[in-house]
Amino acid sequence: MRLQTALVVFAIAMTAVAQNPIIHDQFTADPTARVFNNKLYLFPSHDIPAPEGQRQDWFCMADYHVFSSENLTEWTDHGVIVSQENVPWGKPDGYSMWAPDCVYKNGRYFFYFPNVPREGKGFAIGVAIAGQPEGPYTLEKESIKGVGGIDPCVLIDDDGSAYLYWSGMGIRGGQLKDNMTELANGSQMMEGLPEGFKEGPFAFKRDGRYYLTFPWVRKEKGTETLAYAMSDSPMGPWQFKGLIMAEHDNKCWTNHHSLVEFQGQWYLFYHRNYYSPQMDKRRSACIEKVSFNADGTIQEVKQTLRGVGITLATGRIEPDRYSSVSNGVSIDFNDTTATFDGWHVILPQKGSWVKYNDVDFRNISDGYVVVKVKANANTSFTIRDKSEKGSVIAKLTITVEGETGPFRRDMKGQWMTLTVPVDFVPKGITNLCIVCEEAEMCIDWLQFKNRTTYMKPATEVSAKPDEEGFIRRWMLLEPIKQDIRSNVIFTNTWLRQAFAKQYFDGQMTILPKDGQKVKAGNQKLAWHLLDSETYNVRLFRFAEKWGQQTYGSLFWAVTVIDCPEEIQNVRLAAGSNGASMWWLNGEEVLLLEGDRRMVQDDGMSKRLTLKKGRNVLRGAVINGPGLSDMCVRFINEKGIPVTSYSLDITR
Amino acid sequence: MKKIISTLSLIIFHFSLCMAQVGAPYIHDPSTIAECDGKYYTFGTGGGGLISEDGWSWHGGAERPGGGAAPDVLKIGARYLIIYGATGGGLGGGHNGRILTMWNKTLDPKSADFKYSKAIEVASSDGMEDCDAIDPCLLLDPTTGRLWTTYGTYFGNIRLIELDPETGGRMKGNKEKDIAIDCEATDLIWRDGWYYLLGTHGTCCDGVNSTYNIVVGRSRNVEGPYIDNVGRDMLHGGGRMVIAAGNRVCGPGHYGRTVIDEGVEVMSCHFEADLERSGRSVLGIRPLLWNKGWPEAGDPFREGSYAIISERRGYSLELAVDFVRMQQERQAFWRINPDEPVKPIPNQKLDEVRETWPKGNIAVRCSDYMFRPHQRWTIMPVAEGGGFLGGPYCKIVIEHTNRALTATESLELTTTEEFTGADEQLWRIEQLTDATYRIMPKRIPGKKELNTTHCLYSSGDSTPTLAPYDFKSDNSKWRFREHH
Repeated sequence: MRLQTALVVFAIAMTAVAQNPIIHDQFTADPTARVFNNKLYLFPSHDIPAPEGQRQDWFCMADYHVFSSENLTEWTDHGVIVSQENVPWGKPDGYSMWAPDCVYKNGRYFFYFPNVPREGKGFAIGVAIAGQPEGPYTLEKESIKGVGGIDPCVLIDDDGSAYLYWSGMGIRGGQLKDNMTELANGSQMMEGLPEGFKEGPFAFKRDGRYYLTFPWVRKEKGTETLAYAMSDSPMGPWQFKGLIMAEHDNKCWTNHHSLVEFQGQWYLFYHRNYYSPQMDKRRSACIEKVSFNADGTIQEVKQTLRGVGITLATGRIEPDRYSSVSNGVSIDFNDTTATFDGWHVILPQKGSWVKYNDVDFRNISDGYVVVKVKANANTSFTIRDKSEKGSVIAKLTITVEGETGPFRRDMKGQWMTLTVPVDFVPKGITNLCIVCEEAEMCIDWLQFKNRTTYMKPATEVSAKPDEEGFIRRWMLLEPIKQDIRSNVIFTNTWLRQAFAKQYFDGQMTILPKDGQKVKAGNQKLAWHLLDSETYNVRLFRFAEKWGQQTYGSLFWAVTVIDCPEEIQNVRLAAGSNGASMWWLNGEEVLLLEGDRRMVQDDGMSKRLTLKKGRNVLRGAVINGPGLSDMCVRFINEKGIPVTSYSLDITR
Repeated sequence: MKKIISTLSLIIFHFSLCMAQVGAPYIHDPSTIAECDGKYYTFGTGGGGLISEDGWSWHGGAERPGGGAAPDVLKIGARYLIIYGATGGGLGGGHNGRILTMWNKTLDPKSADFKYSKAIEVASSDGMEDCDAIDPCLLLDPTTGRLWTTYGTYFGNIRLIELDPETGGRMKGNKEKDIAIDCEATDLIWRDGWYYLLGTHGTCCDGVNSTYNIVVGRSRNVEGPYIDNVGRDMLHGGGRMVIAAGNRVCGPGHYGRTVIDEGVEVMSCHFEADLERSGRSVLGIRPLLWNKGWPEAGDPFREGSYAIISERRGYSLELAVDFVRMQQERQAFWRINPDEPVKPIPNQKLDEVRETWPKGNIAVRCSDYMFRPHQRWTIMPVAEGGGFLGGPYCKIVIEHTNRALTATESLELTTTEEFTGADEQLWRIEQLTDATYRIMPKRIPGKKELNTTHCLYSSGDSTPTLAPYDFKSDNSKWRFREHH
């Protein structure tokens, strides 16, 4: 159930997150990464909580999933490819589907996996074969003869020869026949490796050199490192070179890995028990970049939370998977009983910061940011470019108390999402730094988004009503501020007074030009010639982008209806949120009263005549709180929208 | 007559004319009524909810953690899925909404099994987009088994999402779809090949001045478009009225549908203000009628004197007594002098015929309606009689008498001289989806359980009896006519 829950949450997130660990809805141990068809495929083993009757404190694995990614940030789970009850030679309830591998040869994909046999002791290694890396896989009837052990790995040499390595009382290897399912000439122990426990061989070839890499316990009572040896021959003898990765710093006993080159960069895949801090037999795959020295030796790799890959600004950014932090910053699970819910980062005081590298802002233009936060007291924070002293991308305030009124709520210690427009959009790919500006606070995630485009400045001289007759081209005046707390005041009398009031010069006669300014009280307001993207003109969004206030607003709108011929017996059909008044050629034709919703054809004028040539349609929409919008068209006697005119106020 | 009414009005003050729910039915945004172990539950904005033993008398006591706004609840298999909006709605100033779901095996807070699962998020709004994720509903599509939710408020669009009925979580890969604009507290229902989207328009939270009302559009496809009776898309603000103010309550909002039996449906909502109760927000339960494929709220049953007319033949229910002829100066119609003044003939009065009626029990029959005293029935709720989902049990007595319609053990009908208050004299009157009524005794004498099967039934044109309710047969249906 817990697993399911986590899965669902992940499904909703559906964002690109390449932090460590990389798979967020299930355990993924012993990650073998392979590149097929320019995609990276991940073949991990699949730790699960031990079912009843199985050893609770031991490894427990019943099947294999395969995952793929084109960018190391978005992963697709292709589901189960091999399950223990379907292995002909395996024990159906062995729960020992340990570290696998998968290689391509001659049009087929060979998946190698260990398992306990139906009869006998120890482990055997079997093969399943598919035409696609995602499967379906067909299982071989028998395990590979002459191979007893775990952790298979196959190296295919430049000449097509294939070599199988595995772990069984040390690390062994042997050449495979062309059929890939049988040893050609038996096997041999790999020579030249250091003393101490070794398992999980992963062999590869780079620049003509053979590498044998393996988990290795270098100290007595120690835990596993990742180490490697090199050779000129795939079967050794090997020359030990040292560590790729030191022991986990949290006593997680195992590590197991693979190395792969993908899009010109080498990566190390390894595992750690991130989602199971109390029990190190439930592990999760991670990735780091790897660099080679000129002599082919490998530079030691440090574990990071940030992992690899570029995170899209429009993806969900998890700063608890940070690149670096200031002193005192820590992370914690969102829910210790459901670890797949992930972590949050805690910034304990003013000046604390967390840095998250490689965020791609190239898709953000007119942006805003959403951040999930919690705090125990009112506080604030900034999101900055590059460093804790960098340009402020956005500043956010967390208000957990202090509201008054009937809907006052105490948000102390409660998660909430905050949304603010972005003050500054960084260029390209950059590093983010979140800085606590006041009291302690926690962040779960943040995400940048672009505002929807609701209307665009008109580019064509003339426009037409849309197919349904809605007038989308308007000259709109930036909203005039009105002190309206509730729309219940919109009575006929009140509205008539409000619309009769003189707000600016030429209110009822002006045919404004785009950008022309008027003075209304102490507000200096500009006219904008706009084409709405939708049938309704979203005045609230107009106010948000061009106005000084969104609520408590009076909007003035003008458009010119240019008719090639006189059109008789039409009605102006309007809907508005909130109230509105409409004038055609200076005559009042419609009043929509009260606290209204915008409804198509809500109010109709009496029968009108649109004269040949230019007709001026003028409207005023007034609204207190809530979204303001309007939809306006002309309808003929038969109820059919009128479209046989053009809209050209600029002509 | 006046005296009887005034005496009764003291007893039945609460019922008033419109028979609102009794008890303490104070709630805002009630979830669709759910049944659990014989009790009814509805949850509201803020946290708690109401419980009713009988569906008529409601009291606080239901428990829902998480606070927030406008929940809905649906039984799926053996569990109840509760969905609610955790934030948003402009409360606290923002439109960052979150929709959460959680499960419970029971709705009874006193049950040992009462435990909510951890709430999981299924949708959210970021405060900037054209949606505020509050006011969710649940529909389990009976044709596909798929689980749907709509949510949103006046801040932009109403959105549709799909949930996984196994987990209550969001269906993997599901994208939100805008299906309506400028309404709130939506509900989705399915009936007879149509999906109906109900939304609340008007003003909320303004007491007796709230203009809240519920409108509907429908679609053959759950994803819309939802079109109203004049062809308008709800994305353009369309909607046909389902219920508005009236009966001294105003501001109906937050629709829920409950199917009791075939052809027996009720809708739940809250009224922003009950003018009988200081203008408080109360739970409303109304008959749900279907008029040419459109849902409409029926009115609450009004106490009063009626003819009870069979849908089978149009005959009226009456005492099986002698027909007492009325006297009239008769003239041959061809001799009528049109200039001669006319005068009214008074109705036959109870006192003119009462002496001809036998003492003790009198049987009932159906016959031509002649507005005579033995055909006129006074129907009024019985304060201590309890109720059922949406209404109180009523007594049915001959007008100006206590002679009460009574169910017998042999599944027939009689009348007794006095109303005793016994269950066989209490009647459950429900308006059916076609606007006719079914009339059921609370209990059949000799039966332990409450009667939920047998109703007043036309076995012949002239012969009423008790028989199993069948919506497909006009024999099960009756109308009340108020004329004199």
